[in-house]
Amino acid sequence: MQQRARLRLAVIYIGAAAVLLGTVGPFLWLVSSSFQYERQLLNIPPQWLPNPIVLDSYREIFEGAVLGEESGVPYQSRIFLRSFANSFFVAGSVAAIAVLVGAYAAYPLARLTFRGRSVLLFGILASRMIPALSLAIPIVLVAKRIGMSDKIVTLVFINLSFILPYVIWLLQSYFKTIPIELEDAGRIDGCSRLQVVHKIILPLSLPGLTSAGILAFLLTWGEFLFALLLSETPASYTSTVVVSLFATDVDVSFVSIITAGVVSVIPPIGFALIFQRFIISGLLSGSLKG
Amino acid sequence: MQSKIAETRKELPQGMLAIFFSAPAVLIIAATILVPFGMAVFLSLHNWNLKRPGRERFIGLENYTDWLTDSDFWEPLRTTFTFAIGAVILILAISLLIALLLNEKFPGRGVVRAMLLVPWAIPSVVNALLWKWLLDPNYGLINAVFLELRLIDSYQAWLGNMPGVMIWLVIAYSWIHIPLATLLLLSGLQTIPGDIYESAIVDGASVWQRFAFITLPLLRPMLSIVIIFEMIFALKVFDIIFVLTAGGPADATNVLGWTIYTETFRKLDFGAGSSIAMLLGAITLALAILFYVFLDKGVEQ
Repeated sequence: MQQRARLRLAVIYIGAAAVLLGTVGPFLWLVSSSFQYERQLLNIPPQWLPNPIVLDSYREIFEGAVLGEESGVPYQSRIFLRSFANSFFVAGSVAAIAVLVGAYAAYPLARLTFRGRSVLLFGILASRMIPALSLAIPIVLVAKRIGMSDKIVTLVFINLSFILPYVIWLLQSYFKTIPIELEDAGRIDGCSRLQVVHKIILPLSLPGLTSAGILAFLLTWGEFLFALLLSETPASYTSTVVVSLFATDVDVSFVSIITAGVVSVIPPIGFALIFQRFIISGLLSGSLKG
Repeated sequence: MQSKIAETRKELPQGMLAIFFSAPAVLIIAATILVPFGMAVFLSLHNWNLKRPGRERFIGLENYTDWLTDSDFWEPLRTTFTFAIGAVILILAISLLIALLLNEKFPGRGVVRAMLLVPWAIPSVVNALLWKWLLDPNYGLINAVFLELRLIDSYQAWLGNMPGVMIWLVIAYSWIHIPLATLLLLSGLQTIPGDIYESAIVDGASVWQRFAFITLPLLRPMLSIVIIFEMIFALKVFDIIFVLTAGGPADATNVLGWTIYTETFRKLDFGAGSSIAMLLGAITLALAILFYVFLDKGVEQ
């Protein structure tokens, strides 16, 4: 029996090692590449670990942002930091507004009985299924006509509407887990519905609100299609757009491209690892029927 | 769900309250999803090309009949399904294996589960960039490793020909989609009570029998959800195509998402682009309804 248990553990750890290699391996290779000289990247066979650790490509990004054309670094490197800030602004605003607006919309779905409730629920689910590409065409057309293209506010608004259904779905399932007796007690004490939401539901839903906010931030951070179609100048480029400008340009050095990729995933990967519990619970309840 | 106390004070009826609470969200969603959807339908019924302004006119279903009789629709449709089915099979197979592993108790399990979030958090565009580097025909790591393992004689241009390009596209796409599928399947596995397995062991069932006759049937609702969920996502694929292959080589990875993009934003034919987008939308929506039905069944069980 002892031997069987040992065999079981050996099989498990071999599997676990394979999973770890498969999940973080490719990303670590990207990080390792970003700290090498361009000529080292062109070595055959490749060099696994950077030696020495080279920070040139990271410095390029900062110098390019500060000095502009004088720095002599590629165009993409010069505009990268600005796009990074744009991404923060868009994802942060979307997360904050989506949680605020979504929480009010989620409450009646979780607690009230009214005609059209199931229609609203189905509408919210169905709106998550419409391919963004089919909506992108009229949205871009209208945005250009009314002079809202190439504006960061437009990106916030558009992303918001694609994230909201997800956030509402997640929050209404979270609200349902709060014991109704707590709400009843509040109402006996004379709270209005709005006060019930403010004083009982929202404070007790802090973990749910956190998951929703972080997921909204991460999904918006990675959004590409609308960011691509609704931006024309660096003023409204997000980091995914600049990464795509890097990746599709054959004239930029490998190391600059790779570094841009690494820097642009620091926020999402950092958030994901720091808030892993919130994210896992949010992903599970957001993807399933709550 | 209904509160047990009677209305203790004068208050708006629940329907009014619901409208009041959900109005901001519904207005935002309507403005950017429902209205554009209506406009997309409108555009799809018109001859609407930005290269020829002033010639816009209603042409009924002509855009649709044009597509449906054109190999420029059927070929990308086939490519889209080839890609989507490949991706769903790969995602399902790998995530089921990882979920079964993580369903076992062992020290370090939490770390492995947390690391799943690394690929999950990587935006699809950065993922495309990562694989472009891994697959580089001259300096890529995959070439180096495969050569070292003697799987190839010389460096290959993996994205340069069929079927290699499709296989690698599926792998690259699946890499960031496996984690969510794994977490979903794992949560499904954890709802299966342990004593079922114990009594099966007493009855002398082998590992394989336990998997085939207990795990798979009980996991079926969750498996259906993951399959349809991933299918809907894969049919809409665009980002990774944009960076990694641009539909090439020679249209080998020209999926519907890419056709819609080139038709609309390169040829500026908004009518043709909208109608093919509607066709993709209809296919996806049909699957979404299936998803909803399965979901209801899944919860009942």
